[in-house]
Amino acid sequence: MFDHGQPSYADVNKDVLSTMLETGPRYWMLLGTTISIAVICFFMPWLYQLFVGIGAAGMNRNAVWGTYISNFIFWIGLSHSGTLLSAVLHITNSHWRKSIYRSAEAMTLFSLMTAALFIMVHVGRVWFVHWTFPIPNPMGLWPNFRSPLMFDVMAITTYLTASSIFIYMGSVPDFAAVRDASTGLRRRLYTIFSFGWRGTAREWHTLGWAYTFFAVFVIPLAVSVHSIVSWDFALSIVPGLHHTIFAPYFVCGAIYSGTAGIVTVMYCLRKFLGFEKYIGQVHLDNLGKLLITLSLIWSYINILELFSTWFGGTSFEIEALKFRLTGFYAPLYWEMITFCAFVPLLMLWKKFRLSWNKMLVISILINIGMLTERCIMVATSLPRKFLPDAFGFYLPSWVEISITVGSFAIFATLFLIFIKWVPAVSIYEVKETLKPLRRDS
Amino acid sequence: MAIVATFAYEEDFIAAAKDLKSSGFDDISLLSPLPLEEAQEVLGLEKSPVRHFSLAGAIIGAAFGFAMCVATALVFILPTGGRAIIALPSYLVITYEMTILLGVLFTLFGFHIVSGLPAWHDKPYLESANIDRFVVVVDSTDGERTARAEAIIRGAGAEEITHMEVE
Amino acid sequence: MSTIVEKLKAYSKPGYYDEFDYHWTMTIDLDRCTGCEACVVACQAENNLPIVGEKRYARNREIEWIRIERYWEGDYPDVKMGFIPILCQHCDDAPCETVCPVFATYHNRDGLNTQVYNRCIGTRSCAIYCPYEVRYFNWFTYTWDEPLEQQLNPDVTVREKGVMEKCTFCIQRIRIAKDNAKDDDKRRVRDGEIVPACVQSCPTEAMVFGDSNDPEAEVSKKMKNERGYKVLEELNTTPSIVYLKKAHA
Repeated sequence: MFDHGQPSYADVNKDVLSTMLETGPRYWMLLGTTISIAVICFFMPWLYQLFVGIGAAGMNRNAVWGTYISNFIFWIGLSHSGTLLSAVLHITNSHWRKSIYRSAEAMTLFSLMTAALFIMVHVGRVWFVHWTFPIPNPMGLWPNFRSPLMFDVMAITTYLTASSIFIYMGSVPDFAAVRDASTGLRRRLYTIFSFGWRGTAREWHTLGWAYTFFAVFVIPLAVSVHSIVSWDFALSIVPGLHHTIFAPYFVCGAIYSGTAGIVTVMYCLRKFLGFEKYIGQVHLDNLGKLLITLSLIWSYINILELFSTWFGGTSFEIEALKFRLTGFYAPLYWEMITFCAFVPLLMLWKKFRLSWNKMLVISILINIGMLTERCIMVATSLPRKFLPDAFGFYLPSWVEISITVGSFAIFATLFLIFIKWVPAVSIYEVKETLKPLRRDS
Repeated sequence: MAIVATFAYEEDFIAAAKDLKSSGFDDISLLSPLPLEEAQEVLGLEKSPVRHFSLAGAIIGAAFGFAMCVATALVFILPTGGRAIIALPSYLVITYEMTILLGVLFTLFGFHIVSGLPAWHDKPYLESANIDRFVVVVDSTDGERTARAEAIIRGAGAEEITHMEVE
Repeated sequence: MSTIVEKLKAYSKPGYYDEFDYHWTMTIDLDRCTGCEACVVACQAENNLPIVGEKRYARNREIEWIRIERYWEGDYPDVKMGFIPILCQHCDDAPCETVCPVFATYHNRDGLNTQVYNRCIGTRSCAIYCPYEVRYFNWFTYTWDEPLEQQLNPDVTVREKGVMEKCTFCIQRIRIAKDNAKDDDKRRVRDGEIVPACVQSCPTEAMVFGDSNDPEAEVSKKMKNERGYKVLEELNTTPSIVYLKKAHA
């Protein structure tokens, strides 16, 4: 687990808490940059769009959905990493997850928030978006629970709530550690955040059980959330999207994209917060193996889709397939296949899998490929449905591109705020991986 | 007045706890920086009552989710797409999500009830208990019990023993 | 108890309605259609369709509730062009209705696929699900230059940005006719009393509109024509518009 010898218990506290309690000018500059990019690239174009209308984006009569929806799906996909890592691997008692799961969960939460923001940007009349919630009102009007979009609303609300509770509850003992190591206002804040945690056996026992139950609830939730998001597409009759494989395809793609995101985030944590001691080769190795598995499953599902479309032979589907493979957007399609199916195979060699720099590049390429995949779904299938005279074309406008860039800045801002408010590495779980404090060890 | 004893090693800590328990000191707290199964066994904590809250939450969530779907669909009958008004496939998905949502919320509620957090009063605590020491807290009142407890603790190999006032 | 059981049975029935009150249907005779687009203009005038402008039209942002689609067959010099007016088919099993999260579109008792403008929040998923591409979105709040705002139809709402719209079979005319029929001794609407703007303006009388529940209505008779077919019928959307195939010379 530890590449440079085991730290002591006190070292763990010191190392992790120092990233929170000591802030240098580099952090403030970085935070300022991300906030400025977020405001300039995301919020100002969005404000412009709110005044002018959705026409500021590049969508038209045929392609009524554009990059906002593909970004939405991308960010929800990215959010599945944390759940997999913290919940699934908690149930299977994997030890290598213990130092990285807190940041992975944070990734989940902030990806979800960014995705929710995209829904606000996408909808035509945002000021009425609360109508999608079942809030009692004097008109007696309720949302349409038969609608796939309503499944979406309920699923994402549940996922946001469950993820926030999951990450908060898991951090309570660490908030106590922050409380003990700080003074003044911070100490009072963290006394409240930690609920007065002392670490008694009864508290640990209850927390352990509650945490396991949260994990057991969150795993089927994560699987269902991305399936439901896929059904926004799959329950339509649009050729190219009306496939039953979509639910497993999206879930697999989400975990794939999310795990690649974790590699990127871990690289940044090591570089900027100095967590080299806690995040080492064993994590890289395991994440790499996970990525290879997911890449193979993803490739298989893509081959399935191609084959079943070809075998079915419906004229609409064949036309959609031909456009996807050889039409205007073909370069994007083949770029996606290269980055998501072929490049990750490099990880089969230890030379690639155990090198942080190479893995960073591979993980970023995978995520670019996955974002392209979402864009392809929206750009190639939606404008070309059934009636050939009604076929159209989609190109994003500057507003959409700017908002896409801004969304990454928003995610970075949230994450930067996170590392100063919550210990980015779970102190007590790392201690569980160290040698126990016994006389004989 | 409470006795607060610090131990540097796990086995001393567990031995002291076992001895205290068998000598009739029921009101002890065992503080550690990480969860210790043996400490929980000494106190006799096996299955947590949190699981009842989770189950209740899941069942109530399922019932509430389905009832919400059906009830809201019947306020104004608005047929859509040739589907039934009570469309089971769609409502099953919503029910599933509500099961999980209320299950999680009830588990959170159960955690607070069972663990007694947030703690409204200051209780005996040492900061080293959250770093690398194991602390036994014995809530005792009179002098004779105190002496007996201290003897047991010292016998187990405590690093340090202090007394703290309990509110 | 039995009424509860009956009610539950009704709620589990696909489509809910046993039969429609009036089942508004249209037939379009492609043999008679000349592609003159008078119906397009009439619809624009009747329903306060916005003037989108040439630039935005070129970017595919048009709003034309009825459009004439053109299909070319063969190579020069034996080129043939066929055209077909496509408007909202008012499908009984409409895919667009299922996906609206706020019930802004639903099927009413008259067999019409209705759009409720003030409930729409603009998710645009109905336009995704519609196979005929007949739903149009207000990308901007369109305005009319003076004095064009004086020709707006007071019976029809003017939509703001962020709202979906589509052909309504001139529901304002249907409403007025039903109101008049109710005032007139609560009788049923007679065949020919309701004429949507497109039907009214067609110079060759290619379009016929009426109640297919009435066996004596002209539309019911025309529907039985052996040239009759429905567009994209294989998608099981059960459209309410029957096209009469063009008879080739």
